[in-house]
Amino acid sequence: MASPGAIIKSTTRQVKPLLSLDKSEARRRVLNLYKAWYRQIPYVVMDYDIPKTVPDCRKKLREEFDKNRHVQDIRVVDMLVIKGQMELKETVEIWKQKGHIMNYFKETIEPKPQGFLSKFLAGHE
Amino acid sequence: MAAQRQLMRQSYGVFRGMFLQQRCLSVTAQRLRPDDVDKALSVKEAPSKDTKNIFETKEEVERRLKLQENIQIDVPLDLTPVTGVPEEHTRTRRVRIFKPAKNAMQSGTANINRWRMEFETRERWENPLMGWSSSGDPLSNLNVDFADKEEAVAFCEKNGWPWFVEDPVEKVMKPKSYGLNFHWNRNTRVSTK
Amino acid sequence: MMRLPVHRVLQKAVRHGVSGNGAVRGLAAAPEKVEVFIDDKRVLVEPGTTVLQAAAVAGVEIPRFCYHDRLSIAGNCRMCLVEVEKSLKPVASCAMPVMKGMRVKTNSEATRKAREGVMEFLLINHPLDCPICDQGGECDLQDQSMTFGSDKSRFTDIHFSGKRAVEDKNIGPLVKTIMTRCIHCTRCIRFASEVAGVDDMGTTGRGSDMQVGTYVEKMLMSELSGNIIDLCPVGALTSKPYAFTARPWETRATESIDVMDALGSNIVVSTRTGEVLRILPRMNDEINEEWIADKSRFSCDGLKRQRLTLPMLKNQNGELTPVEWEDALVGVAQALKSARGNQVAAIAGGLADAEALTAIKDLLNRLDSELLCTEEIFPLDGSGTDLRSNYLLNSKIAGIEEADLVLLVGTNPRFEAPLLNTRLRKSWINNELNVGLIGPKVDLTYSYEHVGSGPDSLNAVLEGKHAFSKQLQNAKRPIIIVGSTALQRADGAVVLAKIQKLCSTLRAKGSIDQDWRVLNVLHRVASQVAALDLGYAPGAQKIRDAKPKVLFMLGADEGVIKREDLAPGSFIIYQGHHGDKGAEIADAVLPGAAYTEKQATYVNTEGRAQQTIVAVTAPGMAREDWKIVRALSEILGIKLPYDNLNEIRRRMGEIAPNLTRYGDVEDANYFTQAAQLADLALGKGSLTTDPLDVPLKELEDYYMTNSISRASPTMAKCIQSVRKQRQSKY
Repeated sequence: MASPGAIIKSTTRQVKPLLSLDKSEARRRVLNLYKAWYRQIPYVVMDYDIPKTVPDCRKKLREEFDKNRHVQDIRVVDMLVIKGQMELKETVEIWKQKGHIMNYFKETIEPKPQGFLSKFLAGHE
Repeated sequence: MAAQRQLMRQSYGVFRGMFLQQRCLSVTAQRLRPDDVDKALSVKEAPSKDTKNIFETKEEVERRLKLQENIQIDVPLDLTPVTGVPEEHTRTRRVRIFKPAKNAMQSGTANINRWRMEFETRERWENPLMGWSSSGDPLSNLNVDFADKEEAVAFCEKNGWPWFVEDPVEKVMKPKSYGLNFHWNRNTRVSTK
Repeated sequence: MMRLPVHRVLQKAVRHGVSGNGAVRGLAAAPEKVEVFIDDKRVLVEPGTTVLQAAAVAGVEIPRFCYHDRLSIAGNCRMCLVEVEKSLKPVASCAMPVMKGMRVKTNSEATRKAREGVMEFLLINHPLDCPICDQGGECDLQDQSMTFGSDKSRFTDIHFSGKRAVEDKNIGPLVKTIMTRCIHCTRCIRFASEVAGVDDMGTTGRGSDMQVGTYVEKMLMSELSGNIIDLCPVGALTSKPYAFTARPWETRATESIDVMDALGSNIVVSTRTGEVLRILPRMNDEINEEWIADKSRFSCDGLKRQRLTLPMLKNQNGELTPVEWEDALVGVAQALKSARGNQVAAIAGGLADAEALTAIKDLLNRLDSELLCTEEIFPLDGSGTDLRSNYLLNSKIAGIEEADLVLLVGTNPRFEAPLLNTRLRKSWINNELNVGLIGPKVDLTYSYEHVGSGPDSLNAVLEGKHAFSKQLQNAKRPIIIVGSTALQRADGAVVLAKIQKLCSTLRAKGSIDQDWRVLNVLHRVASQVAALDLGYAPGAQKIRDAKPKVLFMLGADEGVIKREDLAPGSFIIYQGHHGDKGAEIADAVLPGAAYTEKQATYVNTEGRAQQTIVAVTAPGMAREDWKIVRALSEILGIKLPYDNLNEIRRRMGEIAPNLTRYGDVEDANYFTQAAQLADLALGKGSLTTDPLDVPLKELEDYYMTNSISRASPTMAKCIQSVRKQRQSKY
């Protein structure tokens, strides 16, 4: 009956804010978080003694932030900022360990097959 | 005795002076003299202030009040960045929203009046250790029940799962008649009793 | 959100105004409703409904054992007793019609005591079999004793005379009977007598010594015998192939569609740890009500045997050896390298799904080939398959209940589409339907007029010379069902054309409603309507004429095309799920998925698109059919433009929009134009004198008709038992 797929209808709703009241404030938060991470990276590389250079880490930082570039919902942005801030806190206080930092680079994860033919040959999905 | 009373009255006065606003937990009958109680009752307490807010500037007060009101969001609700579900289990999974079918072996209908969502089945293979059935699908047992179709659809939209709805075919009630079993003429006359 | 547009909903409301006792047909307004109070809740119901039905309308479910919505009322279990105000005795709500202002109390002291009492009596002679009974976990007696029974037992007689025990009866290889557990609800008896039409089950003796069975050891010779397993509220009748395999709470239920015949009955596939254990029916009032036929139910063990699990290529010695997918696809691509235009063809079998058909069509079209055929023949003369109304069951299965005259031509619906036959029988019982048959004199489980067995009777009816034609003229809602078997003949086109002319003359009379459709075609295989919708040519004649070098067989197991029909040095690619006749002659075998293993679209004979859902994944290296074709296209360099299910369904929707509108039936039209074009076919030839025979005449012919049922040991046992039963004197 309903055609398959995600049919997103546009909605306007009134909701309670999380942290920011408008887009500019949310943007400010994101940028501040980015700056905080950016400035912390040299110390991360030094404290955790990871086999990555500072430019590598900065590239990864940009990648992680770019992943969520498309988000327009202020509350989702706030939530992501909160999570980013939590990660930053754990990294600064050295509550994480080397492995946790290296997880961001996903080096030990085997890449899943991309493209129809590779997926077909690999298995059922 | 009277001296004690005098002492009490004096100490009472001192107490009253110092702790005018608080009601002391004294149990002496002296304290509960009617006019004192009336006076105490008529005096209003100062409004209690949260220590955080005493030194708030005007802008901060404004902001705090604004945060308690609502803001407007025009974008559809999409929680995929924060749910923690990896992308391979959001975009690629299909959700089927349906009303579960009645178990054919029983005549009870308690389980059918709800809407349910389920994911498509993925591969199960024999685990080499014990021969049990392994699966790589974290959503294989995720079945959420809803009161109606729209709620289920909203939930799927929120989580970014492509969905499709299967509408049930509703049964029409037709009146049955016992007398037809014994009709004189028609084929509804039963050959079994 | 409405599934149907408003005018269709109103039509449906009009149709459902017809009550079950065949009251004045065509009564548009519903009769005056009667008010009843169930537990102080007021409901308005039609007069004549029973108290139990009225309670169901109110949302109160009264416990019952012997009452079933689709069978006649028996009223012998007494579990449905409820207290009615101003009545001295509790009332059997399943049988008592409501009266104006009746006040019913379904939860009062008296009602509860009645239920506890009935439960107590039922449990006195019921054996303590729950741990070994298959019905445990889905047993009405278990659930109702917990909910409505008393918590203590007063049964002390176990130490004296004990509980009654009854011998088990043998009624065939499908139904396991443990008659000690029987509570004599008589549901099986009523089903066999009313729905299945075989009056074999009955009761013998009375009181404690009452036994339900066939009295003499006789197999229940019905194609619907499996349904008594569902009906039995206790574990007296259980499924023999499924015995002792699983408990219901261990299984996962996946709702799907059955493809053993062209009706597309709705089923539930029960699986556990990645294997299909059993198939149960799902209710769909418009197709199969609550029943499924035996082949659909019990062929699931054929899904585990003779499976193609590895891609294979013929090696130098001419033997098929397993290879990897890449090698198999590359091998096939080599063979297709130089084949273009009429050198490559495809033939689709009976279990092919619409997605695979679309993919193969797209691939072959990109190879400049139009040679896409189905194994089933359908006459192409006249308007052929261009007008949908020519090849659909236009009145729809539910429309049979409104018909007043049915003429069956060259079909035995009892074995070709058992649930259609059920509908015909239901109409015959409730609505005084008259049925005529042109073809062999088969047992349809209801009495019909045998108009004739050959084309001469068809001619006679058409010209008005037969007595039946007068009935046809006078009927207000006639239905003519042509079987696909009649159209497989050499003169099939003439048969269809003559029937189209007959239908148009009947409509021209004017007594038939404008919206009523007379012509119906009953297919035998599940893939035919989808293939015709997508533009496949029915019948393999086109392929035989063109003699291609490469042949794609998509589950084609009826042996319609043989190697001799193709060019010398031909390459045959078989893509399917069972190793049947097709894989025998193949040079390359690509293992596909069966209907329980893919999310696929099947269109039933009414033109209703439905989809099967993945219950288990395909075994071994097998993949979904359309994905194999898509992968092949990528290796060939002509990549098809879809990567996932949504995209291929969009493509399907481009070709034939009805294929993705699941659950809906589109009314096909252009009957007058089709009848006019039928003149072209009539001019081409005339009817031969061969009688209109059907291949499925007896029960043993019914069981094995496709690759899945041929691989099923249960079906083999059925055929053996039926043959043995024919030797017996009963």
